[in-house]
Amino acid sequence: MSEAPRRYLRFRRPDRAEHIILLSTFTLLAITGLVQKFAEAGLSQAIISVLGGIETTRSIHHVAAVVLMLEAIFHLGTVSYKVFVRRTRLDMLPALADASRAWAAFLYNLGLRRHPPQEGRYTFAEKAEYFAVVWGTVLMAVTGFMMWNPISTTRFLPGQVIPAAKAAHGYEAILAALAIIIWHMYHVHVRRFNRSMFTGHLKEDEMLEEHPLELADIKAGLAERPVDPKAVARRLRVFVPIYAVAAGLLLAGVYAFVTFEQTAITTLPEPVDVPVFVPLTPTPLPTLVPTAIRAATATPVAGATQSATTVITTWRQDIGPLIVPQCGTCHSEEGRMAGLDLTSYAGALQGGVSGPAIVPGDPDASLLVQRQLAGDHPGQLSTEELERVIAWIEAGAAE
Amino acid sequence: MTRRRGTLGLLLLVAAGLAGLAAVTSSPAAAGVAPAAQPQADPANDECLACHAAPGQTLLLPSGELLSISLAAEAFDSSVHGREGLACVACHPGNVEFPHSPVTAQTRREYVLQRYTVCADCHADKYDATLDSVHQRALAGGNLEAAVCTDCHGAHDVAAIGETGRATIPQTCERCHSAIYQAYRDSVHGAALIDEGNPDVPTCVDCHGVHAVQGPSTESFHLFSPTICARCHADPELMTRYGLSTEILETYVADFHGTTVLLFEKLAPDQETNKPVCIDCHGVHDIQRVDDPDSTVIQENLLVTCRRCHPDATANFPSAWLGHYPPDPQHAPLVYYVNVFYRVFIPVVIGGMIVFVGSDIIRRILNRRREARPERPRSVPAGKSRDTP
Repeated sequence: MSEAPRRYLRFRRPDRAEHIILLSTFTLLAITGLVQKFAEAGLSQAIISVLGGIETTRSIHHVAAVVLMLEAIFHLGTVSYKVFVRRTRLDMLPALADASRAWAAFLYNLGLRRHPPQEGRYTFAEKAEYFAVVWGTVLMAVTGFMMWNPISTTRFLPGQVIPAAKAAHGYEAILAALAIIIWHMYHVHVRRFNRSMFTGHLKEDEMLEEHPLELADIKAGLAERPVDPKAVARRLRVFVPIYAVAAGLLLAGVYAFVTFEQTAITTLPEPVDVPVFVPLTPTPLPTLVPTAIRAATATPVAGATQSATTVITTWRQDIGPLIVPQCGTCHSEEGRMAGLDLTSYAGALQGGVSGPAIVPGDPDASLLVQRQLAGDHPGQLSTEELERVIAWIEAGAAE
Repeated sequence: MTRRRGTLGLLLLVAAGLAGLAAVTSSPAAAGVAPAAQPQADPANDECLACHAAPGQTLLLPSGELLSISLAAEAFDSSVHGREGLACVACHPGNVEFPHSPVTAQTRREYVLQRYTVCADCHADKYDATLDSVHQRALAGGNLEAAVCTDCHGAHDVAAIGETGRATIPQTCERCHSAIYQAYRDSVHGAALIDEGNPDVPTCVDCHGVHAVQGPSTESFHLFSPTICARCHADPELMTRYGLSTEILETYVADFHGTTVLLFEKLAPDQETNKPVCIDCHGVHDIQRVDDPDSTVIQENLLVTCRRCHPDATANFPSAWLGHYPPDPQHAPLVYYVNVFYRVFIPVVIGGMIVFVGSDIIRRILNRRREARPERPRSVPAGKSRDTP
């Protein structure tokens, strides 16, 4: 009764190392994957932002996936070593008995059974989880390959397989994450903090509660089969080359997985060249330029001469009635804009501040003609009207 | 005589815009016109029109261009400003007095660019919005052709909003962007507007904005653009009229391309991504119905479209995209049944776990209470007795 509390070795160092790799890659994959599935959530976007953006998040996901695949290849080696070389019992495999033990445990919990079922080295809860990890990893690897290499996949399978793989990959992730949170967390962290995956050992009372059959076997000396070192060495000589070849093939498979295809271009697609500024041909300004030129070159020459010879043009008769209404608004006796009064013949001859508006016989010296020819005077005579005024001045500007 | 005739001809050429005062105007206010030197009240429009109503008057600018200074009174009177009784000098404050302050512009365009800022006096909010526009940036960058207020709205003939019909909008943009207008004109949207007068379809400004029109070549516009399409295409009332899916945005965002674009838009809107947005597959101004033979996304053309970014894609590849419709048993049975399977499987498995874990928790609490009572040591851990031999 006074013996020191005994510790029982549960997991060796390589097992514990595998668990560390599994837990870190799983966590990374779950985080970097689920934030992509729920990309619209604020929390997802915050995490992606912290991780350095979606492209980096995807890279982390891919790297973690590769590490997990390498770990799976390693695990295949350790398991087959135990099974084929050391001839360990396959007590990790789930069996029908596990289902009945699970049912018995449930009945016990409900009070419908006096005692909980007796568990051996691996409880039904642990076996269920191991089975889920193996199944989940394979499914994630297959669907992940399809998403990573959609062009190669659709070379052989219908295109629909890609969104189906994506759906399965995403749902499986939810399932795995929830299972870890509910099943794994409860059984090894809440129910009893089971440190054996890190320390390697369980204490006697823990063994008694969780693995009573294994404890009994250990005490009876039946837990480990006797191992013949010669047989182990002989089996090892067969195992190592076979595993080396298998691992080599699997590593090549992982390499192919990653490098199988270049799905999309990594640059920006060729931009579509759109001519942006293509103005419509501007509509010409509706000026009367052609008419004015015609008027200046053809008609007035004959017209002016004719009018000068046949009819004597006078201020009173012709020019006054033309000038007074148009110019008199501003250049009146009262207004005298620029000192000029154009409402009378005398005022026109007298002119304003700049000089006489009319110089009889000399249209070029007449300020009225100069201002009007510039074309920008507020009260503007038409070409034809101006022609008449010029002809009148040339003819001596009769009153 | 000959010499003078030559001079006269030249001078007449200079005054070439002259067409004459057809209708001799005598302004009612004419009698009261004060000498230019004296300060005066704002002249009434009639006073301005006394001179400017005559057609064909022009100013010859140093560039050799003619600047029209004539105005048809009816054109202004029927404009929204005319109807509101706006004074000429409200927009031409330099012309209150006569002689007017001289025109310093060397070219017609320079004259416009000197004058258009007067719009800000009344429409400060619209004017301020234009300051952020791609047009103003182009102008600041030295492109004098970039549109300013009057280029789109006109100067004297400004119409009220909605007065001229929706088709005027693209036709206004057409003045400078005629190649894009032609593409739009032939698109599903443009044809519906121009040919049928359909009020549902977008015009230029619905996507590009009005006064603060943004350059569509920025990455942030590219990333934001799906939201623009979704304004109409996610509107159930609008889409039922045309029998179109309203789940375009959800299905897009749920997919690889859309997820990436969404995250880029939220986290790094100025960073470039080569993941496509709506317009990269459907086309921009030339967008067609998805069943149009010219459509970039009709089944027959889809592979070509995919290959712009996936040059190695083969015949099955495009069908990996389910076409903006949620998977259903007819079109995507595999995806549909994978979804159905997990929607049943996950609750069953996780539910089972919760039930078992719950029962285990209750059992352990009960056992602990029972152990606290020493008179009934019933549940000693059952290590020594086995239920099964």
